[in-house]
Amino acid sequence: MKSQLLVALGVVVAVSIAGSEGIRSGNQAAGFRPAATALGLGLSQRLSAQEPPPTQGLVRKGKVPVSNEILKINFPRPAETTLSNGLRLLVLEDHRLPQVSFQLLIPGAGGYDDPADQPGLASFTAALMREGTGTRTSSQIAQQLEIMAATLNLGAGSSPEATIAGSCLTDQAAALLDLAADVILHPSFPEEEIARYKQRTRASLTQQRGNPGFLAAEMFSKAVYGSHPAARLSPTLAAVDRLKREDLVQFHRTHYLPDRAVLAVAGDVSMLQARFVTESKLGSWAKPSVSTTAPVPEPAPVDSAKIYFIARPSSVQTNLIVGTPAIERTSPDYDVLSVMNKIVGGGPTGRLFLHLREEKGYTYGASSALDARQHRGDWSASTNVRSEVTEPALRDLLEEIRQIRETPVTDEELADAKRSMVASFALSLESPAQLLNLSLTQWRYKLPGNYWDRYAERVMAVTKDQVQAAARKYLAQDRLQVVVVGDPTRALDPLKKLGPVETYDESGQRTAF
Amino acid sequence: MKRSRTGRFLVAVIAASFGAASLAAFTAPTVKFSDTKLANGLRVIISENHAAPVFSVALVYDVGSRDERLGRTGFAHLFEHMMFKGSDNVGPGEHFYTIFSNGGTMNGTTNKERTLYFETMPANQLDAALFLEADRMRSLAIAKDNLDNQRNAVQEERRLRVDNQPYGRADEEIEALAFDNVAYKHSVIGSMADLNAASVDDVTAFFKMYYAPNNAILAIVGDLNTGATLARVRNYFESIPSQPAPPPVDIAQPPQERERRLTIEDPLARLPRVDIGYRIPSTLSPDDDTIDVLTEILAGGRSGRFFEHIVRQQQRAVSVVAFAPNSRGPRLFGIEATPTPGTSVEALEQAIYSEIDGVKAGPIAEPEIEKARNMTRRQFMGSVATSLSLARSLAEYALFFGEPGRINTRWDRLARFSAADVQRVAKQYLTPENRTVVISIPKPPAGAPDGGAR
Repeated sequence: MKSQLLVALGVVVAVSIAGSEGIRSGNQAAGFRPAATALGLGLSQRLSAQEPPPTQGLVRKGKVPVSNEILKINFPRPAETTLSNGLRLLVLEDHRLPQVSFQLLIPGAGGYDDPADQPGLASFTAALMREGTGTRTSSQIAQQLEIMAATLNLGAGSSPEATIAGSCLTDQAAALLDLAADVILHPSFPEEEIARYKQRTRASLTQQRGNPGFLAAEMFSKAVYGSHPAARLSPTLAAVDRLKREDLVQFHRTHYLPDRAVLAVAGDVSMLQARFVTESKLGSWAKPSVSTTAPVPEPAPVDSAKIYFIARPSSVQTNLIVGTPAIERTSPDYDVLSVMNKIVGGGPTGRLFLHLREEKGYTYGASSALDARQHRGDWSASTNVRSEVTEPALRDLLEEIRQIRETPVTDEELADAKRSMVASFALSLESPAQLLNLSLTQWRYKLPGNYWDRYAERVMAVTKDQVQAAARKYLAQDRLQVVVVGDPTRALDPLKKLGPVETYDESGQRTAF
Repeated sequence: MKRSRTGRFLVAVIAASFGAASLAAFTAPTVKFSDTKLANGLRVIISENHAAPVFSVALVYDVGSRDERLGRTGFAHLFEHMMFKGSDNVGPGEHFYTIFSNGGTMNGTTNKERTLYFETMPANQLDAALFLEADRMRSLAIAKDNLDNQRNAVQEERRLRVDNQPYGRADEEIEALAFDNVAYKHSVIGSMADLNAASVDDVTAFFKMYYAPNNAILAIVGDLNTGATLARVRNYFESIPSQPAPPPVDIAQPPQERERRLTIEDPLARLPRVDIGYRIPSTLSPDDDTIDVLTEILAGGRSGRFFEHIVRQQQRAVSVVAFAPNSRGPRLFGIEATPTPGTSVEALEQAIYSEIDGVKAGPIAEPEIEKARNMTRRQFMGSVATSLSLARSLAEYALFFGEPGRINTRWDRLARFSAADVQRVAKQYLTPENRTVVISIPKPPAGAPDGGAR
């Protein structure tokens, strides 16, 4: 039944994607030769071609009547104010539909703030806040919300902040904020609900290990973030078992503070209304006498390339991730790396998709992503391929990374990538919530007030040389982390040709093969 | 204007202290659109929305996996992939490349009923979008190497979604077992053997029969002028020749007379799962709205009876979900439930049946009905929120009911139903002899050091 949702493009398509023409790949070069470095990613030291060879995955006849004009977008700015308890309020009015949505971000209450001996406590706290308050039971909260056809979601995963997001029809907005405020200010953490939550969570954690995509992402996070909290994609069973009510109470009291938080509201509401309702519902949220936000820690450097294999004996596909530590969101290289990522694998126009799928037919999808945060983040390329082609697919994936380092991108693919990124902003004007996310990004990373107004200009200024320099700097082969999940009888041997392999079972334990 | 908005909001503040605001005041916005049939049979629906400088196109072809012949399961979807491999004036990959590199988004999607192609682009690119859709409707390029390439991509899609996923087999087995109608029995993705059998001749014949303008509906929504847009559509599409109408799909099947049941071993699963499907009438049936309300009462969110009773109170399940996908032919009211460790699948099944019996025996509380109605209001808002969601809704209403304006009447229809309707529908369709049950049991793979859950 779910299989009815079949779509043509095997990538989650973000609002904007990049382009490329005349795409390369020296896939015919280079087998997996064991090389001198730990990772034999030498893949032939072929540095010859100055123009990447063309791909059969894309042929441009150039007859489509496209407009060369890029629509100039004026970003609507939210109204902003600060309440007496320090809570920042952003309001973006949009009266097209009788709906309101909001996001409350609370820095200092995310998974990064877990006590060292209690990984997962922030996410447990967020999940359990909606399981009861001083005046409402878990069932009453669910029922009140759903009678209004409203949503209210709390989360605090691998992040420096907790997020509380909600949405409803305009005529329910005050009632929803009333309920949200009760959950934020007066959670009661009933023992009975904690026990139920633990039971459900244990089962979910067990079930999760059947998903090969999760196993790959979990290992990759550990590879690039080590002991940093960004490495924790999911709580552990041991942490669930140890969870106690007083830990939740204590975490909530000391981490859910208004003076560092921001409430962003979008939709059929004015600043006057939003301020009135917010003051009346969240005005009593007390500002602490002394408030400090722990600085977001920096992950330890990753100084050598490494190969990880997770055995999933019944796999009929191999999941591949190749990536590397990258940059913080405020890095001056952010725009350049974004353009580079778009060319390599930022969607169906990326080289990875055109090459590994449209030309080779190895996979349903292949893409790459730049994840930049308060601390240095990561860049990764990933795909899932049938077990038989594990070796050529991994070789091609590594070759794409080598190409972007060694060969300048073409003028055309650079221009297409930049136009794609800039022109796609027109689409965000359809969604007030998406526009507000731009403002939240600006707030979260303390970006200049005109950051988004200048975005197009900055992207358009990126040059081929900058793209190649960034690729050389961040995609260096001696830092590449390779993660492979698959059938050990078919996917492991090709890996061993690359270099020493650390092998694990599905539970995450080191195992010899 | 501003003053009246403030006033309405403050009234809501007061009303909120008495519970959810009154529904009586709610009037759904009305969607306005034009509806034109071209000389070649292409139906064109246009709706102006000047809120943002964008437009969306939804082009629905009346062909899905239900139209596939025996031995060619999965073909409608494989064909959808071929639509991106070029036409007379567009090279392989150039369709999606052009859209994305000019700031747009797009995709294609296939289900049992239809194949849908859509794109959203900045408002100045309307010609590009219409040209791209018209060129492939007129002149798809059909080549063996492209077919082989996309056959590979689709087979990887099958592995990704079915063969390499826990419970992937259960999703296919339940329809195969529950339906006797050959058009609906098989999955949309199809079998590996049938995908391998697909030939260039199949692609050619399928294109001619199903990808004709008289078998398609084109909906365009956004920052555009209706008259000028219609003129451009005529320019790009009207000369594409129509074709004889495709053969009608036989949707008949004999009634189910007793429960059907299957247990399968799943080496990829870590926990068992119970899948239950009850045969229900098509989306075109007068009972369709009531089936939606019944789904909401049983499985809507955390206040639905399945979550509140079975998951939260009894702790027999990690999750219980229910759904009734749209279909013009046979379909199932589907339930999927995962037991908590220590709960037997039998106990979980019985808990689900108890909840269904509870609906039949009544009572159904007023808040449960109010919830279903409010959910309908929000779904309506979702369907008009973006140019793409509205274009898709208009095209799909036109396909299913012949009437895109049905988007404007759902709210009124929902306001009229009663608790008694819900009970009648539950009693009529959610019966033991009308259900099919598939149980998936985790099986450690042969040779695994320890495949069990830890």
